[in-house]
Amino acid sequence: MTGLGYTLPAVVAVLAVCALELVVLRTGLFRRPAYWISMAIVLGFQVIVDGWLTKLSAPIVIYDEQHTTGIRFPLDIPVEDFLFGWALVTAVLLLWERMRLRDRDGVAR
Amino acid sequence: MDRWQYLMVLGACLLITAPLEWLGGGVYRKPWRAACAVLPVAAVFIVWDVVAIAADVWTYNPRYVTGIELPASLPVEELLFFLVIPLCGLLTYVAVDGILARLVRLRADKARSS
Repeated sequence: MTGLGYTLPAVVAVLAVCALELVVLRTGLFRRPAYWISMAIVLGFQVIVDGWLTKLSAPIVIYDEQHTTGIRFPLDIPVEDFLFGWALVTAVLLLWERMRLRDRDGVAR
Repeated sequence: MDRWQYLMVLGACLLITAPLEWLGGGVYRKPWRAACAVLPVAAVFIVWDVVAIAADVWTYNPRYVTGIELPASLPVEELLFFLVIPLCGLLTYVAVDGILARLVRLRADKARSS
């Protein structure tokens, strides 16, 4: 286990997305209840879909355990996948939110 | 049939989330905004994916993919993954936002009428 191949970039991705919001975009997404409720729903469905993709009995995606912590939870999902998924979906929501606010403020002005 | 498995998982994701389009302001009916949100992020993650595939961090079980590969050994399913999953996330967020807004309005109406 070196953790370099997947664990490290997954952590960096989460930090980068946080920085994107807190330093660059400042959309206020993290203060919106709709965001956290949505992410809870997304997490639930991630367990189902990702669980299917990574199940060790018949995996669609195969990980080199050298590059992960080796911790798989829940089901056979590598924990890194949750950082990956959070960064992916949150980054998209941030860009969406920035455009939504821009359009709204454009109309108000 | 097995070769279609990954594609079918993605198709199921699109089918299940499709009705969310009508619960809020919608995503599919704002294609420009959806593209501007999804595509730049997909581009970054596809680069990550290509690097990870090249470095053997992860691979795809040939049994469950169509075998159609894009340049840099990227299975076509992976490209679609980075479009489908963000779309599902967006649909969820916009639907939840719409429902919450309706609840707030309902409560305000009730407060006014009482």
